[in-house]
Amino acid sequence: MSGINPFEVAKQQIDACAKIINLPPNVTTMLKTPMRELHVSLPVKMDDGSVKVFQGFRVQYNDARGPAKGGIRFHPDETIDTVRALSSWMTWKTALLDLPLGGGKGGVICNPKELSNSELERLSRAYIRAIYQFVGPERDVPAPDVYTTPQIMAWMMDEYSAIAGKTQFGVITGKPLALGGSPGRGDATARGGMITIREAANTFGIDLSKATVAIQGYGNAGYHAARLCKELFGSKIIAVCDSKGGVCCTCDDVSGIDPGTAYEYKNTTSSVCNLPGMLQISGDELLELDVDILIPAAVENCITDKNAGKIKAKIIAELSNGPTTPEADDILYKNGVHIIPDFLCNAGGVTVSYFEMVQNFYMHTWTEDEVREKLDNKMTSAYHSVLETSKEYKINMRQAAYVRAVERVVEAMKLRGWI
Amino acid sequence: MKTQEVLTDIYRSGLPQLDYLLQGLLPGDNVVLQVDHLGDYPYFAGAFIEQSIKDGHKCVYLSFAAHSPILKPVKGLEIIRIDPSPGFDYFSAEVHRIIKEHGRKCCYVFDSLSDLVDEWATDELLANFFQVTCPYLFQIDAIAYFALRRGQHGNSAISRIRETTQILIDIFCVEKNTYIQPLKVSGRYSGQMFLPHLITADIWVPVTRSGDAARLLSSAVKQPLSIRNESIAPWDSVYRKLLEHYETGNISEGDQISDLKEALSRMLIGNHKKLVELSNRYLTLANLLQIRQRVIGSGRIGGKSAGMLLARGVLNSTKGNFDYSNILEEHDSFYIGSDVFFTFLVNNDLFLDRLELNKKGSLSWDEFNKLEQRFLEGSFKDEILEQLRDMIDYYGQAPIIVRSSSLLEDGFTDAFAGKYRSEFCANQGSPESRLNELLKAIKLVYASALNPDALAYRKKRGFSEGDEQMAILVQRVSGIPYRQYFLPALAGVAFSRNLFAWTGRIDSQKGMLRLVFGMGTRAVNRVSGDYPRMIAVSHPTLRPETATEISKYSQRMVDVIDISDNDFKTITFDKISTDFDFPSIDLFVSDVSDGFVKDWLVKPARDMKNILVLTFNNLINQTDMVEIMGDILNRLEKAWEQPVDIEFTAYVDSDKNVKINLLQCRSLHVPSLGGVCVSIPKIMPKEQVLFRSDRAINAGMVDNIGYIVYIDPKIYAEIPDIETKKTIGRVIGKLNKILAGRENKVMLIGPGRWGSTNIELGVNVGYADIDNTSVLVEVAREKAGQRPEVSYGTHFFQDLIESNILYLPVYPDDEKSDFNSDFFRSSENVLLKLLPDMAKFEKYIKAIDVPLSANGALAKVIADPQNRNAICVIDRSGLSNINK
Repeated sequence: MSGINPFEVAKQQIDACAKIINLPPNVTTMLKTPMRELHVSLPVKMDDGSVKVFQGFRVQYNDARGPAKGGIRFHPDETIDTVRALSSWMTWKTALLDLPLGGGKGGVICNPKELSNSELERLSRAYIRAIYQFVGPERDVPAPDVYTTPQIMAWMMDEYSAIAGKTQFGVITGKPLALGGSPGRGDATARGGMITIREAANTFGIDLSKATVAIQGYGNAGYHAARLCKELFGSKIIAVCDSKGGVCCTCDDVSGIDPGTAYEYKNTTSSVCNLPGMLQISGDELLELDVDILIPAAVENCITDKNAGKIKAKIIAELSNGPTTPEADDILYKNGVHIIPDFLCNAGGVTVSYFEMVQNFYMHTWTEDEVREKLDNKMTSAYHSVLETSKEYKINMRQAAYVRAVERVVEAMKLRGWI
Repeated sequence: MKTQEVLTDIYRSGLPQLDYLLQGLLPGDNVVLQVDHLGDYPYFAGAFIEQSIKDGHKCVYLSFAAHSPILKPVKGLEIIRIDPSPGFDYFSAEVHRIIKEHGRKCCYVFDSLSDLVDEWATDELLANFFQVTCPYLFQIDAIAYFALRRGQHGNSAISRIRETTQILIDIFCVEKNTYIQPLKVSGRYSGQMFLPHLITADIWVPVTRSGDAARLLSSAVKQPLSIRNESIAPWDSVYRKLLEHYETGNISEGDQISDLKEALSRMLIGNHKKLVELSNRYLTLANLLQIRQRVIGSGRIGGKSAGMLLARGVLNSTKGNFDYSNILEEHDSFYIGSDVFFTFLVNNDLFLDRLELNKKGSLSWDEFNKLEQRFLEGSFKDEILEQLRDMIDYYGQAPIIVRSSSLLEDGFTDAFAGKYRSEFCANQGSPESRLNELLKAIKLVYASALNPDALAYRKKRGFSEGDEQMAILVQRVSGIPYRQYFLPALAGVAFSRNLFAWTGRIDSQKGMLRLVFGMGTRAVNRVSGDYPRMIAVSHPTLRPETATEISKYSQRMVDVIDISDNDFKTITFDKISTDFDFPSIDLFVSDVSDGFVKDWLVKPARDMKNILVLTFNNLINQTDMVEIMGDILNRLEKAWEQPVDIEFTAYVDSDKNVKINLLQCRSLHVPSLGGVCVSIPKIMPKEQVLFRSDRAINAGMVDNIGYIVYIDPKIYAEIPDIETKKTIGRVIGKLNKILAGRENKVMLIGPGRWGSTNIELGVNVGYADIDNTSVLVEVAREKAGQRPEVSYGTHFFQDLIESNILYLPVYPDDEKSDFNSDFFRSSENVLLKLLPDMAKFEKYIKAIDVPLSANGALAKVIADPQNRNAICVIDRSGLSNINK
């Protein structure tokens, strides 16, 4: 995002949305302004005995619909505007999924690569001490994000609990299973995406048991997507790739790529690109394959105005963040490619985070099947609400997702009497 | 084939009696005079030269010994002095050069060959010298006189000389009379030729009566049977004397013992001042005698062996935080002496090829493959084969490694990192098959002395004519058997200075480790898609990756010896990790859960389906491993008085005690980050910037860059066939050679990792393909899949540092890189002007003539030593000067 202020981008998106649904200017202004921000200084004792002061933030962008929800980032290039932008997007994401949550985000300017484990622990605990009054199970519930891990969430929960004098699992999500984490979190993002694909396929009359799928990116999300496509729908995975290259199965290969074999191969060799028995292709070639479903699950801006016209997929399910540029969006829309936009398609993660909160409230653990069933309900409902909005306003799915989310936030603000 | 049957071209010896005795000298005759007293030699040599001058022949006296001159300066005689002290290789090359320069039918007198043994310590090299020089003289119809002092050389040497020369004559004294007795005269015969003759002023009288002959020969100094003739060359005599002192307990450090000990040390270890000093200080007489007893053949043990032994000596004899007698694993290595290498070359007609190649300094890989085949077809002398057989018997079926240990390798200024070969021998099967495997390994190591990378490196470093003999270190492979494999638990390289300080917190003075599981080959080679653990000694738990990146950038492949297949293999780690039963595996691995790494607190049950990743986190946190390595590096750097790097293997016992096997220690060439005073201009017009980098590892300024060879990462990634990709490296090599002679410097810019074994990740080049470049740029375009990884600590990295090649990684997708895509896209491609027959590669390789593309300006790279930032710009300053 270097060079472009992400918060300016976020505000432009709200403006565009406000235009579609004719929001009054004062409401638009409110939506473009974070409700609360906390800037903290965090003195941390380093291993060599010195004290280093870190800067941290927590932004609660909008909590009209409920406690703020959003991750904590540990990044050397963190800025308040990045945190603001990300917290606004969390607001729309939770609203789109109809979760009783607002949007928030936090960050600490630090480079975890320069910190030992014990320093990282002290920093995590210092951050929680500094924002203790600001967050809480009913106020603002953080989660892992860039360079923060389940282990860091565990330290933070422990610190919050120590100050509160009681165990407070619900203060944070993304915890390890042994400390109030939710079953089903591992593949939540991919599974949520699969549910939206299923709904889209039903809508457009695509038989997923006969569908072909190409997946760009074979990390955690990409692998689970491939696995679930096969497990849930019986689809044929014809191509996968990662940063080092990709593979495509041959025409006469009836079963396609076995997701487990590809994952194992990647884990042992660091890439899928020489998977035995497959043809080698580049990442760019994968995007242009003649498939039913294309799942970008890796990098931003890989579908651009240069390759959008060559894309032959019927459905693009954006499992990664921001794979399609605005120019490409227009081309794909005109060409009739159905896009399941990122903040709908990959919302399974935040949805299961919400489920984790709920389980923590009740001091209860659901089974994985229960989590999956509830996730299915939420994602199915969200997909159709976006589709209907798209039809209603004759706008593309991405614009529709924004519109639906903003409508819900505005409604809550109105009911609360804020506007 | 030339014969000496034609007697029309007879030369004269200046002594009619000798001419009569030998039936004249023939073109190509090498005349060896074996004398009791060197004083007898000038009589013959002087007469020969005087006559040859009279007869109008070119005459040369090659003087090299410490004894009084054999010949006085006279008109018509050219006297050339050669210093034999640099060694056999240099000396032989010089003599060869002189003979070649003087052409055919020249007359030579050499100083006493016996004096060469004083310099070279062994008869073996003397015989080698004669064996390579004599046939060449014969070939060009020259006549040469040589002298040997009787009784100073072993049978083997004398017999090789006798076999090679055309004429061998004994000169000996009995009761104040001097006798002459030809022992060999090729192609000539007479009834009295081989009788002793009494030399008198007029005639030489043959001793024909049996009684006289018996009386004469039995009272002569010379022994009747050569078998009694024991060498007094220092290699044997010094050892015998020291052993005698040692066995009788008479080893008080008197002057005589000290001198002998140093002499032995010089013969084994070398003459480098620092080596001698370290050896005197840290190696005991017992150490040296042990080394000498394990030398196969004769000669020095080479730099790699010396470094290993000295480092062990340093650690065992200095006091510090650790007692290394409990930490260092014992070693039982053998050393194949450097003389064996030359004997192999000489006996297999490879010496002259080597001489020519060293002069030429380059060779294509195809040519090398043919040459290597000739090495493989070569044979060893029986006595060496016997010793090698003994060694194979000693090791039984334990895997061994045959490592190059050349005289210059691992010296104090030049590392020769990875230039020469090391060969693993699984050492399984019958004794004969194991011996054959060993012989093949030795020959491959010998051949590697001439591989294109080694030649280029030697030429670049000015060693082409130097004395570079190949000794060999044979070591037991350190490790344990596990299933059908044999491997060490841990291996790696360590550096006393840390050039990989990715954060300012890391103390670069405290060194770093590049650690792998299994054989250390994965730590020293630039492997692709696989990552050793980099450990900063000052901050061992820090790593340049975090969160889910840790599992991505970890080691996945393991190098092992497969005992069942008798082969060296690379296998996936899961072949070893699945049962969790490899000793101390809990210290090496972590679990991966949802992409995040979790260290083991206790070893999990065997039936768990964990994904394991090699992090070595518990090793770092729960053992003294890093502290010990830091201490080792610190002590060795102090002893070496300069930064060092080491290779090691290690294991941890059940009580978490660390055991180290130190395999190698050599000086580390550290880039001059501190001494360079450059700064990046704060204001620079954007159109003049070609790119910026923030991870320069060596600093400085490279100006006058006239050529940029650019391979676009995206285009490279899209090259459809592997063969084309493979050939790109060779084309780069050709450009490298063509551009080497140009006035301006060269910068190479290409995708991912130059020199990677995986051509998908970077152009496959060797040192010889890039040695003339001044700046090497690795371009990372994540979308194209390439990612630079400097591979700190690999041989490739050492090459860049030693060759003063500025290395820069550039990330064009990062806006801070200011990557000037327009310049690289729009500049004219001059590839076909440089390599007209390479049209096929024009679309993949862009050769940019910088002045042509930048209105006459050259490019310049400035790398700031303080913050490791670098910038590449079009430098218009030169133009403005011209305009002024």
